[in-house]
Amino acid sequence: MSAPATASAARPASRSRLRDGALLALVLGAAILWFAPAGMGRYGTYVLSLWLVMSIAVMGLNLTLGYAGQTSLAQAAFMGLGAYATAILTTTYGVNWYAAFALSGLLTFCIGILLGFPALRVRTHYLAFVTLAFSTLIWLLLRNEQWLTGGVFGIANIRRPGFFGLRLDGALAFHRFLVAVTFILALALWWLVRSPWGRAFMALRENPVRAASLGVDTRAYTLLAFAIGSAYGGFAGALYAPLVEFIDPSPFSLSQSLFLLLMVVAGGSGYLLGPFIGALLGVVLPEWLRFAGSLYLIIFASIVLILLIICPQGVSGLAERGWQALRRGRPAGGAP
Amino acid sequence: MKSPWIMAAALAIGCALPALAQDKVKLVDVIELSGAGASAGTNFKNGADLAAADINAKGGILGKPVEVIHYDTQTNPGATRAAVQRAIDEDAYAILGPVFSGPISASMQISQRAEVAQIVAGEAAGFTQQGNPYIFRTSLSQSAAMPKIAKYLKDTVKAGSVAVVWVNNDFGKGGRDAILPELEKAGIKVAADIATEQGQADFAADAIKVKNANADAIFVYLNEDESARFLRAAKQQGVAKPMIGETTLLGAKVIELAGDAANGVKGHVGLSVDAPLPGLQDFGKRFQQKYGYVSDHNGIKGYMAVHMVKWATEKQKKLDRKGLADTLRGATITVAEEPGILIDTTILKNGDLDRESFLAEVVDGKQVINTVLPKLNP
Repeated sequence: MSAPATASAARPASRSRLRDGALLALVLGAAILWFAPAGMGRYGTYVLSLWLVMSIAVMGLNLTLGYAGQTSLAQAAFMGLGAYATAILTTTYGVNWYAAFALSGLLTFCIGILLGFPALRVRTHYLAFVTLAFSTLIWLLLRNEQWLTGGVFGIANIRRPGFFGLRLDGALAFHRFLVAVTFILALALWWLVRSPWGRAFMALRENPVRAASLGVDTRAYTLLAFAIGSAYGGFAGALYAPLVEFIDPSPFSLSQSLFLLLMVVAGGSGYLLGPFIGALLGVVLPEWLRFAGSLYLIIFASIVLILLIICPQGVSGLAERGWQALRRGRPAGGAP
Repeated sequence: MKSPWIMAAALAIGCALPALAQDKVKLVDVIELSGAGASAGTNFKNGADLAAADINAKGGILGKPVEVIHYDTQTNPGATRAAVQRAIDEDAYAILGPVFSGPISASMQISQRAEVAQIVAGEAAGFTQQGNPYIFRTSLSQSAAMPKIAKYLKDTVKAGSVAVVWVNNDFGKGGRDAILPELEKAGIKVAADIATEQGQADFAADAIKVKNANADAIFVYLNEDESARFLRAAKQQGVAKPMIGETTLLGAKVIELAGDAANGVKGHVGLSVDAPLPGLQDFGKRFQQKYGYVSDHNGIKGYMAVHMVKWATEKQKKLDRKGLADTLRGATITVAEEPGILIDTTILKNGDLDRESFLAEVVDGKQVINTVLPKLNP
């Protein structure tokens, strides 16, 4: 799951160009998505909105797994924590959504730090099992503590936030709000992975012992990778609750964590745009395949399977390979 | 790296193309065809398809053919919301389904905002108590069924104590929360209160707990597959006390899966193809002919839902979405007037139903109806 490592070590200049390309794609993508739903109907707009929300959760997991190399099966649980925190704070206690959003991020950040501690002792699939247990624990809490979470009946009528007096109840208005929030969060991540922090995360992924010998505080960075990744899960949950206007424990179960993991891997683990492509495959593709009737999930599963056989580094890895092949094909010195 | 965005936009535009069909009565069935609700959802889908075929064979509704389109909810609230939104965008005349109450709760505000009737198969009590005038049931709610069961436990089974076994999802928890106060009112002691998991495979430990509780009767409130597994485990553990349940304990599927272990099981049944009503029995035969298995109550609900639309549309003599919901609210549909409703049904103002129901027993691998219980407000 750390496939892009060799490429990044060998071609730092190419990687940095790719990252600048990624920034350009983010800006362009945000602009397209701002206007895309015009004339699309509420269904298309809703699916795009759901895609953005899932992208945020996948971005977080991509940081934990793709950049810092810590396997986590708890991202849906963090999304659940964020969604429930926001839903409870806004519906039961009447807290402003923006405050609830920030508190959800803070809560999941802190719990992410706590979950990071086992990662200091165990790695790879052992760590996956620890996070799996955590995921199950959170799901049980959400389901069984009915006095707080509504249990299996969930929480209904979650209100959407406003923006300086503007109501965001409509599908298009809320979609544009989501585009803005996703853009800001993606930009923050773009900055993070370019910063010394990002390089420290990647050093941690490639060789923790060597990273430590070079003076990287592996303990702090492991915890931070978990905490920031989890906070993104919390942010995604805080947006999911008002988008669907209803939550129950089912979308935050272990299988959803595995699905988010699939999105990271299929989109391209360790690439900035990977989460968007992964979430596109996970959220938009099944909707688009609905024309195939009862076969749509079989076709979806086959596409994902074939995709991962052809490009184990995900769609972004394939795109990068294609880009490099293209550059090699040019005459020497011809590259810009 | 721009290509994914372009692909996204192209995919999304593809998703959003509306398919308008004014020459048809377009019903969108938003239903569980994968995930935990797949078994119930498939039954409902088949029932709705059979109803559309029957209606179209007789010339459709007001001369227009009925078209039922099915969208899978994956038993997931977020996906259900997308499917209902799509149905509204595609100008559905009415929405059928889903079955599970989580997906219902996540999607019913959308049909309410669009003023489109949503005819669901859920039994949990909550969603008709939120003042949504566009939600309609096709079965009795748990709050209507549980008093009948408590009365049955007290008067017929003469139980002084009961062990309650329930599945910890919205259906099971809703039923458990509805039966406990009824048992208390009837003076019946709850000897054990046992929660089980959705999709649970091994019920040996639960069967032993039930046996040790030594109650006079056992109230089993699980989904069909789990009911069958529990009955088998209880038989293996030598549990000999009467097993009492609801439609999900006495259904055709449970009898098929549990085999001998289902014999002797008793309880209250809202809908059954074995009920002593010619409409229901005839539906059961034709369903089995077409699909090769016996329909459970969800198949009947799917059939009824389409006929509720037919009755109300013919009553208002036009295809008016809002009028459809207004006509259904508070209506009584009789079999004499609309044979496809299968059993006389009164729709209450909040979307709940009132109608006859049945007490049944499984004898030699067949469900036998013993008693017909009258409407709550005849």
